[in-house]
Amino acid sequence: MIFWRQMNFEGRAGLILLAILVLMALLAPLLAPGDPLAITGEPMLRPFTSGTHMLGTDRLGRDVLAGLLHGTRTTLLVAFSSAAVALIAGSIVGTLAGFLGGIADTVLMRITEAFQTVPGFLLALASISVTGPSVATLIFAISLGNWTQAARVTRAEVLSLRERDFVAAARTLGMRPLEIAFREILPNAFGPTASLAAISVAAAILIEAALSFLGFGDPNRVTWGSMIAEGRAVLRAAPYLSIVPGLALVITVLGIHLIGRGLSRTERLQP
Amino acid sequence: MPPFVSFFLRRLLGALPVLIVVLVGSFLLLEAASGDAVDSYVARSGAMDAEQMAQLRQEWGLDQGPLHRFRAYASALAQGDLGWSTAFERPVGSVIAERLPVTLLLMGIATALAFFLGSLLGVLAGARPGSFRDRFLSITSLALYAVPGFWLGLVLIVIFAVDLRWLPIGGIETVASGKSGLARIGDIAAHLVLPVASLAMVYMALYLRLMRDRMGEIWRDPFVRALEARGLSRRRIVWRHVARNAVLPVVTMLGLQAAAMLGGSVVVESVFAIPGFGRLAAEAVARRDTPLLLGVILCSAVTVIIANLLVDLAYGKLDPRVRAGR
Amino acid sequence: MSEPYLRIRNLTVDYGGTAALQDVSLQLAKGGRLALIGESGSGKSTLAMAIAGLLPRRARSGGTIEFPALPRQPSLGKDIGVLFQDPSGSLDPVMTIGDQIAEVVMTHRGLSWISARLMAAELLDRVHIPKPLSRLNSYPHEFSGGQKQRIALAAALAGNPSLLIADEPTSALDTVVQRHIVNLLDELVRDNGLTLLFVTHDIALASERADTIGVLYKGKLVECGPTAGVLGEPEHAYTKALIATHISLDMPRRKRLAEINADGLQ
Repeated sequence: MIFWRQMNFEGRAGLILLAILVLMALLAPLLAPGDPLAITGEPMLRPFTSGTHMLGTDRLGRDVLAGLLHGTRTTLLVAFSSAAVALIAGSIVGTLAGFLGGIADTVLMRITEAFQTVPGFLLALASISVTGPSVATLIFAISLGNWTQAARVTRAEVLSLRERDFVAAARTLGMRPLEIAFREILPNAFGPTASLAAISVAAAILIEAALSFLGFGDPNRVTWGSMIAEGRAVLRAAPYLSIVPGLALVITVLGIHLIGRGLSRTERLQP
Repeated sequence: MPPFVSFFLRRLLGALPVLIVVLVGSFLLLEAASGDAVDSYVARSGAMDAEQMAQLRQEWGLDQGPLHRFRAYASALAQGDLGWSTAFERPVGSVIAERLPVTLLLMGIATALAFFLGSLLGVLAGARPGSFRDRFLSITSLALYAVPGFWLGLVLIVIFAVDLRWLPIGGIETVASGKSGLARIGDIAAHLVLPVASLAMVYMALYLRLMRDRMGEIWRDPFVRALEARGLSRRRIVWRHVARNAVLPVVTMLGLQAAAMLGGSVVVESVFAIPGFGRLAAEAVARRDTPLLLGVILCSAVTVIIANLLVDLAYGKLDPRVRAGR
Repeated sequence: MSEPYLRIRNLTVDYGGTAALQDVSLQLAKGGRLALIGESGSGKSTLAMAIAGLLPRRARSGGTIEFPALPRQPSLGKDIGVLFQDPSGSLDPVMTIGDQIAEVVMTHRGLSWISARLMAAELLDRVHIPKPLSRLNSYPHEFSGGQKQRIALAAALAGNPSLLIADEPTSALDTVVQRHIVNLLDELVRDNGLTLLFVTHDIALASERADTIGVLYKGKLVECGPTAGVLGEPEHAYTKALIATHISLDMPRRKRLAEINADGLQ
């Protein structure tokens, strides 16, 4: 509730959008029971023409609304998990680099730089090509190109924190360096990193969508990206099959950005 | 040697460790892949017995240990040999050389367009923070920023290629049109309009927001009040001073976004069936062509490094404080 | 007595509820040098900015500010030049100083770009920047704080104004440089027949350089008159207290204006 009050109008709009999406994801099995990939009706029904298929069906006769609802689950699951993995991994690397300094810092920052130099989408593609597509490997693949900014931000924060009083106090208390790094410094450096979360989540959503659009997504799950790809085959006859799941993507990413802006108004940390 | 060239070489040398990390990292990742090029070759070309497969592995040097493979790859690389593409049955270098120019053209135009339109609109929004124009442009850019490029491409195809029939649906030029000279350039340009638009739109929105936000900060800088006190016109203060200062972080962002745009071109090129470098990456993964994927990753890293170098050069020209510090 | 250069009647300024100036009236003769003194928050800067027309947008003001000696409403840069406290905050960091001065010359004197640049070099020479022609293409960060303030002064004078408003022009500089800037200001004001209004919390500086002193206290002009009179026979308790704590310019600045016990004043 305090969180809500701190948010401005934009942030609140974003929170409402996200809440609706989470509800959609949670209620998907109730609203659209059964496998969303199953054929349930006549193919290529137009939206709003059938009572049982509100948003129509695709070229195989799968319900679009069911796909949309179940797609929310995949999108949110993959995006939030991979953003979390990326932020945590990045914070750890950044803390180590900033705290250890010297050669360890140089090596870790070179590695970070290398990851920034290769397009994140290519990293994800390469990773998927090795592991094969599943939700877990997608999460890993997407976070691969997404952790570097968190590492940089945390490192900068750690460098400014390590000279502060409470670190010196911990040192005189006889805490071991790594213990200080992870028990005293990392929690304090986490604040600025957290404001990167919105950007990371939005990026993860877009990368996941693009991967599944190209056919590198989890084949056993319905995703918005795969629905867009599916609709593309009949783009001339039924453009809405691609357009509707794309709109869902736009709304989701917009919601995340709105929350990010709402957060940055209170913290002013977003670029 | 002119200072420009020596700066260029020095920076490239400085990027060498990063390139080595990229090389080692991607090689390790691909070593972990189950199944090798021979497996995929067999999967595509049909039956082949175990003996033939072993022979092919030996021919392609796949029967040696990973360290040996890496060393062989690295030493070939040092001589400019990127390896043999199993999918295209041609040297990786020549496949990439054929595909890269199209993507560089696409990215170059998209970047230029996004930068100029984005910062121009950003100035219009940031000239009067809080005005209706500012709010309208800010909200529009936020919405555009959320649009996935590949989906925007599909929407543009539906509108401009399917419904209106103004522009071609895909490809880089009309096949066997027999066009040459200016007619051919016009044909390619027509093919590039939609892909460039879908690639550039997101970045335009990003630069708009960045420019606008930065201008808002510059307005609060005390030197702006000093300029007002000298009686300079509002227009001059906006364009020559506030916008001029605010464009610096946008230029920095240009370099940071080079990698992201290259990644975006993978999907956009697939949507528009453009035979470019980005689509090559997807093809390499789909056809399990390890040497090709390695080559693509390495070349994109080099492309990003060079793009950042150019941005740094431009930044040095734009910010006198950096020039002096160098 | 002839028409004054500047006449202020019943000026009131407030920033959304908090009054910064209350009912201030004063006159300034042409060629006069008025020093506004008072502690931080007394409203002296607000008064200077109100005269320049540079109050922040949220400020509400009442009363009149007139310039009887000018044929028209004064315009910034052309009739009034302003010099600010922070020299770094007075110059655009990414434009050459030559261009920054020349653009003011162009705006107000209608000269061509080349003549404006030449005029900029002349102005730099007048504020004693050595080798001005060769420094036209230098950027602000290549100069020291004192030099930046000279350049800002050149830019403030580039439109050939008749009034110069200086808002604590030396308090961001060290003592030796302060002297130089003050002497330069003196020299320019004398040579160009400028009317000068400067804000300072330095009573020694005011007594040396001003012919009129206005003392501000809590948004009110508690005393205003010829320097000798105000400092010799102060009427208001606050002015007396100010003078009592007065110590010469060579003392460390932070000791000069000691805390004044505000209780029982007014």
